[in-house]
Amino acid sequence: MAKKIVVDPITRIEGHLRIEAEVEGGKITNAWSSSTAFRGIETILKGRDPRDAHHFTQRFCGVCTTVHSMASIRAVEDALKIQVPDNARLIRNLIMGMQGVQDHVIHFYHLHALDWVDITSALKADPAKTSQIAQSISDWPKSSTDYFRQVQARIKAFAETGRLGPFQNAYWGHSAYKLEPEVNLIGLAHYLEALEAQKDMIKVHAILGSKNPHPQTFLVGGMSIPVDPDSQNAINADKIAWIRKLLRNARTFVEQVYIPDLLAVAPAYLDWAGIGGGVGNFLACGDFPTDNSPGTDSLFFPRGIIMGKDLANVMEMDETKITEYVTNSWYTYSNGDDKGLHPYEGETNDKYTGPKPPYEFLDTDSKYSWVKSPRYLDQPMEVGPLARVLVAYASGVPEVKAAVDYVLKTLNAPAAALFSTLGRTAARGVDALILAQKNELWLDQLADNMGRGILEVHNPEKWDPATWPKEARGFGYHEAPRGALGHWIRIEDQKIANYQAVVPSTWNAGPRDAHGQMGPYEAALIGTPIADPEKPVEILRTIHSFDPCLACAVHVLDGQGTEIVKVKIL
Amino acid sequence: MKTDGSVSQVAIPEEILQRIESRGINRRDFIKFCMATTAALALPVTFVPKVAQALEDNRTPVIWLEFQSCSGDSEAFLRANQPTATELILDLISLEYAEVVMAAAGHLAEEAKHQALEKYHGKYILIVEGAIPTKDDGAYCTIAGQSAVASLKQAVAGAAATIAVGSCATSGGLPAAAPNPSGAASVSEIVPGATVVNLPGCPVNATNLTATIVHVLTFGKLPATDRLGRPLFAYGKRIHDNCERRGHFDAGQYAETFGDEAHRKGYCLYKLGCKGPETFHNCPTVRYNEGVSWPVMAGHGCIGCSEPGFWDTMSPFYRRLPKVPGFGIEDTADKIGIGLAAATAAAFAVHGVASCFRKGNPKDESKVIKED
Amino acid sequence: MLEIHYVWQWPVRIAHWINALCIVALSITGTYIGAPFSLGGGVNPYLMGWMRFVHFAAGYLFLVSVLSRILWMFIGNHHASWRAFLPWLTPKGRENFVRMFRYYTFTGNNISHESGHNPVAATAYLGIYALCLFQIFSGFALYGQFAPGGFWDSALGWIFPLLDNQYMRLGHHGVMWLLIGFFINHIYSAWLMDIKQKSGVMSGIVSGYRYIDPEDV
Repeated sequence: MAKKIVVDPITRIEGHLRIEAEVEGGKITNAWSSSTAFRGIETILKGRDPRDAHHFTQRFCGVCTTVHSMASIRAVEDALKIQVPDNARLIRNLIMGMQGVQDHVIHFYHLHALDWVDITSALKADPAKTSQIAQSISDWPKSSTDYFRQVQARIKAFAETGRLGPFQNAYWGHSAYKLEPEVNLIGLAHYLEALEAQKDMIKVHAILGSKNPHPQTFLVGGMSIPVDPDSQNAINADKIAWIRKLLRNARTFVEQVYIPDLLAVAPAYLDWAGIGGGVGNFLACGDFPTDNSPGTDSLFFPRGIIMGKDLANVMEMDETKITEYVTNSWYTYSNGDDKGLHPYEGETNDKYTGPKPPYEFLDTDSKYSWVKSPRYLDQPMEVGPLARVLVAYASGVPEVKAAVDYVLKTLNAPAAALFSTLGRTAARGVDALILAQKNELWLDQLADNMGRGILEVHNPEKWDPATWPKEARGFGYHEAPRGALGHWIRIEDQKIANYQAVVPSTWNAGPRDAHGQMGPYEAALIGTPIADPEKPVEILRTIHSFDPCLACAVHVLDGQGTEIVKVKIL
Repeated sequence: MKTDGSVSQVAIPEEILQRIESRGINRRDFIKFCMATTAALALPVTFVPKVAQALEDNRTPVIWLEFQSCSGDSEAFLRANQPTATELILDLISLEYAEVVMAAAGHLAEEAKHQALEKYHGKYILIVEGAIPTKDDGAYCTIAGQSAVASLKQAVAGAAATIAVGSCATSGGLPAAAPNPSGAASVSEIVPGATVVNLPGCPVNATNLTATIVHVLTFGKLPATDRLGRPLFAYGKRIHDNCERRGHFDAGQYAETFGDEAHRKGYCLYKLGCKGPETFHNCPTVRYNEGVSWPVMAGHGCIGCSEPGFWDTMSPFYRRLPKVPGFGIEDTADKIGIGLAAATAAAFAVHGVASCFRKGNPKDESKVIKED
Repeated sequence: MLEIHYVWQWPVRIAHWINALCIVALSITGTYIGAPFSLGGGVNPYLMGWMRFVHFAAGYLFLVSVLSRILWMFIGNHHASWRAFLPWLTPKGRENFVRMFRYYTFTGNNISHESGHNPVAATAYLGIYALCLFQIFSGFALYGQFAPGGFWDSALGWIFPLLDNQYMRLGHHGVMWLLIGFFINHIYSAWLMDIKQKSGVMSGIVSGYRYIDPEDV
């Protein structure tokens, strides 16, 4: 008999996400992903100054902050045919690169780790043995017996207060937790260290972007942060040195903490290399231009499509092939909800038809989410670090190939293992590592430009709206930490006529389309084992492996939908 | 000896320090933190022991609710430095519910929240992030099937104090920008009459959030606020009046375009649309990310993110004044005004020419005395 | 035979010229404050500082002048009285208003004869007083923002939760242009009436005397 479970809210993500799933024979047989919040920013943008749009869109998300500013200014630049100065390209690469590193560190330690690491078990660890293991996997200096004893004592004292705060009521002791106590203690110590490290590494955003979250130096046509070796109010040698130090620390953290931890945790969970595969189609729009030539050839992470897990065949990605469905979303299209629309023609007419709150279950037979269903050539696509790394790996980008092969060799796993929950988590680590290493190169190039007297950061040619054509439209892309992101803008009479964003979590979290095809979350959950329907930690593992960017919920009920399993806390 | 007297007043009692140490916190870090917090609250140093005591006492339960938000304020909280998020969570407060960081999910997370609401009724600090949608009975934001409106009202009812963080919770923010598609409202609008302290900003400055929490812990009451419920210690002055570039403003030195020489030299960003002169916030003094920088320092004008309705009133962001209602996006108040003045002059010029050629005497003919 | 009438008492004339001076000074400095030009890096003349100083000083002078004139509406002669600004309260006033309006719009040939304001002008001045009071209110409310809790903020700051300070700024700016439009109109109309009415409209506001045919009044 199938049971329907609901997880709502899904925590440790951005936004409001709810998962409903049917469980039969200890496995998920059907799943529905629903976003339960709507703000209507696309509607709010209509009629405004296109140069202002990036401030609005950046607030799509405060966790993957910066990314929607990037896509937005690129969309306007594409529409108005603006070429940005080389310094702006480098500053943007640095900001995007650091966003990738910091966001992945936060995700791995603070949003994802607690699905794999049991904090209560860490209290039983032997600090000496922990130190031994830590030193065997990394040169990270904070690895003495005393250090781990201190961390353990601090958490023990905390636990003894009986008030666990954010750690209470979790799935501690669940049979799905497989790590030995010592590895759990390493994970816990690094959870706390990462909390410090992330706020330091992101100071790169403060220096180049004024603050984080929501840096404010993006501009249509370039960046507003001046560079000038002879000014105290611009990026000068002193600031370059500061950034370099922060980049180096970030890289050290990724190389000596993040990657070793990933490789230490993974062997205990190798079964997850066979779970959570999903739709098997991958889309990457590519990013990090390596020179200032127009077009997409210079992108470090290449643009491309992989269909049906076929790594031998990377196809070209053409943004005109993207459509969005609202068949199962709380919107209506003026020409019928069963037809997909390209974002230029996209509509955001919200029409809530779900149950009136408070409710127990959504009506998953009709519309059930605030997320639309994007499709490429009518196929659901997965986006994210896995898609990005796979496209780069299959295209033969040397740095990516070397890093992926190293991870696979260390774990003694075939490339096919990448199509999984574990593969997604590993690909994110590879992504962070490569970005952490590339960042210093971009900083060198920026310093080199400055040294040669190239100080331009903004192209003012088309800044004045009087210079714009009456009508224009553009596509802005970005490989955000969570995957391929696209913004489409239509400008008429110097105002925004239409604005549509297809964000990574729309690709991944979208509901079924007009043909009944599941979105990547839903597809990835099928077959996931559920040891205890009242504590579905397995759902969190797979959903978190995508690094969702909306707030969610998961619950369980029986096959006929007549009986709800109430989860009682004793 | 005066000096001895003041030193003994400032010293934190030894037993507090010992208890702090037994919890694995470095004694010097704690003293440093107490001093910094006291300074952040603009209190005399004699308050250091009181602050220390407030921090040492039993951790205050805190419930963090998130509605129509981008989680930017939660992220800002993770960047906190005085104290850090780790110190806050482990040592200073008991964070009972916070979706972005909590380990529990789904039903168990909701259980934790409901337990806290009951157990600490009348004692917890409620922190709210994000606007609250009112359209369609609140269906535009639900958590565990419950509408944001309902969960907010329930949580506010039992809170000792409510802190609205970020511009969405304090004034509706981005979701409430015209045309406000989801009927988004602020905390004060949903629960009028409740004791709410507003900490706007997009996102909130973590320093101001921690200073407010510590203020409550120290004095057992909320800080003094302005007309909009914003603490005076953080929103009592305009950005413009504290700005590091104010000298250039007064001198008449302005950046004309981004990246020009004046811009690189750090001249005033007034002409590039900076909203510092109309925005109350302490960005110039506390800055962001441990005091590294803030928008004007990084060459971009302020966008006024701590003022209510700033998405509508402060935009276009690269212009000094808002768009004139009913006119095109390029029509500034000055262009319209010059047009108006020119039209008036032209109209009267025509009137004048016509009047010159006008025949007859306007005075009543019968009343004009003709003299030979 | 024309008679010489003492129409504009000295407080009226002084207030008129101070107002005129203030409006010119406030418009020039206000325009600069709203859209300054850069002086570059070589000189440091504290230009914006001076502009703002003159603007605030002129603002205080304008406040005193306008308030004195309003006070004089209750003290001065009948030309200065507040009743003079509400000409359409009497049947004769209404009749003269129509006559004057028709003259201005080329639909009538006769003008009304007043020793004080003509009724259309008086109505316009009523509107101008409203605009001046708005400028004073919005100006001092915005000025008060530099010192929250200070006198001006306590007196006028309550307006901001009701009307956002950016719209207040826009209004302050827009009304300046309306006053500039009025300024053009005012000079033209005075010139026109000086010629057509032949009663010393222009010189009257300096000397106070107007030349009136007693039969007209």
